[in-house]
Amino acid sequence: MASEMEVDEPQKLPVNVTKPIPLTFDLGHLTAFDSNPLPPLTPANLEETLYSTARDSAQLIINQILTTVALKSTQDGVYATLPDPITQLPREKPVPKPKEPTKWEQFAKKKGIAAKAKDGKLIYDQATGEWVPRWGYKGANKGVEDDWLVEVDESKQKDVNDNPRNLSRAERIERIKKNEKHQKKNEKHAASGAAAAAPKGGYKNRKRQ
Amino acid sequence: MLQTVKPKNARSKRVLEAREPKLVENEKTSLFLRGTTASGIVQDALGDLHSLKKPHAVKFQKKNAVHPFEDATALEFFSRKNDASLMVFASHSKKRPHNLTFVRFFDYQLLDMVELLIDGETFRKMTDFKNAKAGIGLKPMISFSGSIFENNPTYAHMKLVLLDFFHGNTVSEVEVEALQYMISISAADPTDGVPNPKIHFRCYMLKTLRSGHKLPRVELEEMGPRMDFTIGRVHDANPDMMKQAMQKPKGQEMRNKKNISVDGMGDKIGKIHVNKQDLGQLQTRKMKGLRKRGREETNEEDDVEMEDEDDVEMGDDDLPAVSPKRARV
Repeated sequence: MASEMEVDEPQKLPVNVTKPIPLTFDLGHLTAFDSNPLPPLTPANLEETLYSTARDSAQLIINQILTTVALKSTQDGVYATLPDPITQLPREKPVPKPKEPTKWEQFAKKKGIAAKAKDGKLIYDQATGEWVPRWGYKGANKGVEDDWLVEVDESKQKDVNDNPRNLSRAERIERIKKNEKHQKKNEKHAASGAAAAAPKGGYKNRKRQ
Repeated sequence: MLQTVKPKNARSKRVLEAREPKLVENEKTSLFLRGTTASGIVQDALGDLHSLKKPHAVKFQKKNAVHPFEDATALEFFSRKNDASLMVFASHSKKRPHNLTFVRFFDYQLLDMVELLIDGETFRKMTDFKNAKAGIGLKPMISFSGSIFENNPTYAHMKLVLLDFFHGNTVSEVEVEALQYMISISAADPTDGVPNPKIHFRCYMLKTLRSGHKLPRVELEEMGPRMDFTIGRVHDANPDMMKQAMQKPKGQEMRNKKNISVDGMGDKIGKIHVNKQDLGQLQTRKMKGLRKRGREETNEEDDVEMEDEDDVEMGDDDLPAVSPKRARV
């Protein structure tokens, strides 16, 4: 072996390996399975035998890659396109589940209501002729909150002492809270569905021998 | 029910999102840790395995009072904290000397465990071999030699565990230059005297020489670590859990291509659909008297045209003209 490597210009080194049982390959994992029995191992010849079987496998994997797989040469180097792996290995985490539809989505589907198109955050204000945000700072959903004069709406006035200026804002905050409550409820519902399908395994659920 | 953590800032949100289950999974992270007692050999082995698995690896420095086969809840906790689904636990005792426990997790829960006891006499660490080592994070080539990996269920399981542990990431392309090293795992056949032969774990650097043929001649050079394993205790996976772990996401499975079949002889047969032939265009016998002639046409152009027509006629006899897209099998 050593003499082979010292030769500068090798005269036709053998590149083919013949095995009684041909090797099976899983090039997706760059793996070769050699089901030929190893020659009897003794402490004296152990490393040599392991080396020669490993070398044969390496040669065969390289041959297999260079002959059967599409090679693509780019500026960065030559790339071999690997096939999909054959040996299936366990996943790390379960397959992601599609997102659970919210209560509204279920209702909208039942009624055939199409989702509103997302037409941006800005909205045209007819009165001032400017583009203003729909919500947020100086948003269009503030209504009469910032007006200098507020009409008293007695139907909304629960208490005589209620400040009519704050009623519009209180109503808006109420809507936000309600929406958040629904969001949480939907999340909880989705999580309970996922928890029911969680794997039954692990250390605590193991079968005792 | 699991406690849902709501991220407080964008960075932690990104981290949590990266840990969520994915359709196409990232490379598994491996965690390396030791028990309260660990021999020098097993610690060296742990360090070497860690360096083979870098950069998708975490190594703990402190001792951990854990006995995986008695109570693995601590390991499940480590798996969740580090988002690691592979683990190697090193320990050493009189009963189980130089013991590496390979643990796999699914969804941060224990999937299976196997103990591999290193032979202290034949062990050589990576630095014992004075040569260049493979680059960090390269995908290794792996070979399994020996019929026992096919015939013996324990060894077949061991093959899958080791393949899962060392195969790295599943990629669609690999640079040929990056095929730098090979992990060779081999075992002799069982005999009456030795029913459970050792698993020989070797790592070699690849050297390709010009052979004079088109293909290169491959030579190897051992780079370490060199380990001979005896199989210890095995904790098998819960079948339900394994089934769930083996699930393939929908739309990811191999779709069988339409109209392609393989017959009993192993020949590939493709069925092609061809448009109805337009008989009006059929070339009949050519006669000088029937030839249409434009005034501008020269004799040279005529010759070329005739050759083309001949080709078509010949093709019509054997095979009708087929759109190349359909015909490709």
